[in-house]
Amino acid sequence: MKRTTVLVMVGAIVIFGISWVLKSMSLTSTTDHYIAKGFAITFAAFLTLCIFSFLYKDNPFYKFAEHLFVGVSAAFWMSMGFWSTIVGNLIPRVSETLSNYFKVPYHPESYNPFYFLPVFLGILLLLRLSRKVGWVSRWPLAFIVGTTAGFNFIRYLRSDFIEQVSATFVPLLVDWQGIGHFFSNLSLSSTGQFVAMLSNWVIFFGVLCGIIYFFFSKEHKGVFGGASKIGIWILMITFGASFGYTVMGRISLLVGRITFLFKDWLSLIS
Amino acid sequence: MKRELPFVLVFIFGMFMLLQYFVPHEKSEWVYEFFLAWTIIIGIFALALGIWSLFKVSVDKIKMHRPGWGYSYVTLAGLFVMIAFGFTKRNGDAWGLYHLWWILGLLCLGAIMQVRAETNTGRKKMYFVVSLVLLAATVAISIFDNTWSFHFYTSEGLENTLFRNFFDYIMIPILSTMFALLAFFIASAAYRAFRARNLMATLLLFAALLVMSRFNPWIPGAEYVAKASTWLMNVPNLAAQRAIVMGIGLGVIATALKVILGIERGYMGKG
Amino acid sequence: MALYKWFFVLGFIFCLCGMATAQESGVPPDSANIDTISQSIPPPAPVTDLQAFDTRNDHGHSITLKWKKSADDGAGNNSVIGYEIYTWEPNMVDSMAQLRSEIDQVRAAIYGGKKTGEDLKKKIRTLKDQYDILLEQLTVAHAGYPEGGEWRLVDKVPAGTETYVHLGSKEKLAEGYIPDYTDLYYRVDALTADSVVKTPSVVVGPVQCYGQWFNTEQVPVLITVILFGVLILYFVMLARKGKEIYVRPIGGIEAVDDAIGRATEMGKPILYVLGLGSVSDVATIAAFTILQRVAKKVAEYQTDLIVPTYDPIVMSVAQDVVKSAYYDAGRADTYKEDSVFFVTQSQFAYVAAVNGIMLRDLPATNVYMGKFYAESLLLAETGALAGSIQISGTDEIAQMPFFIVACDYTLIGEELYAASAYLGREPILLGSLKAQDYAKAAIIILSILGIIATVLGFTWFTEFFHVTS
Repeated sequence: MKRTTVLVMVGAIVIFGISWVLKSMSLTSTTDHYIAKGFAITFAAFLTLCIFSFLYKDNPFYKFAEHLFVGVSAAFWMSMGFWSTIVGNLIPRVSETLSNYFKVPYHPESYNPFYFLPVFLGILLLLRLSRKVGWVSRWPLAFIVGTTAGFNFIRYLRSDFIEQVSATFVPLLVDWQGIGHFFSNLSLSSTGQFVAMLSNWVIFFGVLCGIIYFFFSKEHKGVFGGASKIGIWILMITFGASFGYTVMGRISLLVGRITFLFKDWLSLIS
Repeated sequence: MKRELPFVLVFIFGMFMLLQYFVPHEKSEWVYEFFLAWTIIIGIFALALGIWSLFKVSVDKIKMHRPGWGYSYVTLAGLFVMIAFGFTKRNGDAWGLYHLWWILGLLCLGAIMQVRAETNTGRKKMYFVVSLVLLAATVAISIFDNTWSFHFYTSEGLENTLFRNFFDYIMIPILSTMFALLAFFIASAAYRAFRARNLMATLLLFAALLVMSRFNPWIPGAEYVAKASTWLMNVPNLAAQRAIVMGIGLGVIATALKVILGIERGYMGKG
Repeated sequence: MALYKWFFVLGFIFCLCGMATAQESGVPPDSANIDTISQSIPPPAPVTDLQAFDTRNDHGHSITLKWKKSADDGAGNNSVIGYEIYTWEPNMVDSMAQLRSEIDQVRAAIYGGKKTGEDLKKKIRTLKDQYDILLEQLTVAHAGYPEGGEWRLVDKVPAGTETYVHLGSKEKLAEGYIPDYTDLYYRVDALTADSVVKTPSVVVGPVQCYGQWFNTEQVPVLITVILFGVLILYFVMLARKGKEIYVRPIGGIEAVDDAIGRATEMGKPILYVLGLGSVSDVATIAAFTILQRVAKKVAEYQTDLIVPTYDPIVMSVAQDVVKSAYYDAGRADTYKEDSVFFVTQSQFAYVAAVNGIMLRDLPATNVYMGKFYAESLLLAETGALAGSIQISGTDEIAQMPFFIVACDYTLIGEELYAASAYLGREPILLGSLKAQDYAKAAIIILSILGIIATVLGFTWFTEFFHVTS
């Protein structure tokens, strides 16, 4: 190990220790387990800083936090999944003996022997660990892929296709009372006739050009190419707008973490 | 059969789910709800596969002494400790030898890993003995210490304070900090867009700046900027989103149909 | 004779109504006389043309009522403030409600105390058996109208209403359960500001509810499904016969081959990120097809491939896909089991790990395909900082801007789905792209027709596309 690395490590441990002591002391009046609590808050702050250190470059602290996070979160979701889905949802439906073993209330009224089938399919899935009969694991996969493909087919057909087509039927002439009336009332007011009509025209042609951009089997040349180009411009403007829209939300997340460091850990702000 | 049966199953279940939409009858709803519940249950079994993969990759990394293998100990420690916490719980107010138990358990795991990784026979033997001793100690504590107990049969392990603490003081801080990193990344991404000198990037940046400055009262013509950004979000944005959504819809339904009909087979392995 | 029957029925209803109102106001039933109680508001005209029928296109357990509003609703005396919907129920529903509440209590005892004592379980079983017996008798009891039952309030609706859907539960143990294939009777009372002054309608019934086997409201969807299916099959057949299909170049896809070549030259791996989707997401399925092509090329070029996954089922499928690709390339011997691995099912832990891989293994190319959420920018920016060539494709609109900014090539929405067909250049897959284009042309034509229809005021055209759920 390099000397600087050792120094940084030692420094980090010393700072951690000092922080632990100080934090514990500050917590004596609020909790009985102030030493443990002090450690927990210091450790949380340490991990926060470990992750922030990634902004500088990859380093042992980040690696430590990353590997710890991976292990802990995998176990966390496994435990939660086991207790909520297998024990909470499945067992009370299939077996009274197992319900008694896991001490979950057995629902005699919702007993359903068909629930043995997903268990069977789940076990087939586990068989992929075997080289000989691993191919059987494709059956449950086929079940999942098949059902969800059928489900998504209809869902997207309705929500992303039919409903969107009908939503594009916008009136291009809003409140039309002749060309003279239109020009005499021309204004840039957001509630005015001109802006309302312009918006509908932009929506209509925007959708059209956007769709043209997604044509794959026709060369984008001539008028078609022009429309496709306008299409991609509108897409870019949209992406920009949505990018700008997200910025504020992201900054508020950072503010949240900084508040944790300065308030909960260092108690510098109240 | 090995190769074709999965596609037949995909067709049957896919067609069922597709046609089910047009059948409002109770019986069709019943099967539909059933199928959706099944996928969740199968998913949990798959999680076991996932954990096994994580375990195997980490162990192999240690065994082969691949770069950064030391950190795999951290992953394994986190994994095992969290699982242990999820299935054990304190009985009274005191922890007894619980902390010693899980620490010895971890050391035992480390020693077992060393036995697998070590090439030197002498040291291998030494680690073997150490792991046996640690294992004996861990087992002894779990038998004789009554201040805590295993909860394989109730979910009370999830109420274990250490399980909760690991969630609150390890998972949450890292998770929220990772999320907070986005604030920096969004800035560097904006800078990247700023540097790219082409029409597309300029349009994107222009729209982003316009929308970003909608709440900024100090810029000249703030009122018009706010109005323009609202118009941008409500009109061109809506048009483009609609075009994209329709494209995605078509892509999804075409792909789903190809999957159901067995035309698209790339997702299923062979052999 | 028939007239006599009607008088009897109406008289009976008036008696019932009188009894009900009298009971509400605390007046003994035998002295119930609406006119003597309230002289201020005259009884309103009843609703007319009351019809009750099974609610169409549903799973049953529901009746729709339609009527013409009272002559005093918004006109005449203008005295109607709303309507009360009544249904006739046999008295045994009270016993059923009692049993239900007992079952709930026993359940609460089991859940609350986490007790699984035999006595409680036996009790719940006995209660359920009793309930089932009553349930079996319910249809017969309904058929016994008007004997052995009474009118019960279902709901109140404001004045001006002319339809009401009595939506029952399909759960036998739920409170508002309406049995299918059972004779039901309904009545609608016109209400006035004075709670005792109301006029009942004639009784309609018997009417039965039941589930349908085809939802006629979804005919437009069915037509679209058939048209689109035929279109896809037609072009697939055409492509099979050897018809050449042109597909315009798509930047991100062209780049894949170059990127693999670059990785080989640099001796660095290729990172393929499948995102947070599960196999339920069609985007992930498309990503698998692209993975298959990438893996095949990788196998041919003898480059390393790293596929960290978020979902264990996705991991299983990806392993199969990569393995098959290596077999196809004739390089089964070089396939590494651990090139596809599971990280964790936690969004940011997955990101942390993938970011780590990007900075440590320094892949020459990062490919992101599938479903991505907030992590898109974290991944893409880290990859960009690490100097990798980046190709992305997602159908999550909110994440596209981040990929566009931070990646060298981005497949926008449908391009992701097109990519899976395009990469393989398999005619049958390309055939479906042509079908998709025809569908888009149809959208354009429909939109133009829709606009014209809107201008001309042909509402039937636009309404055809408003599919109800």
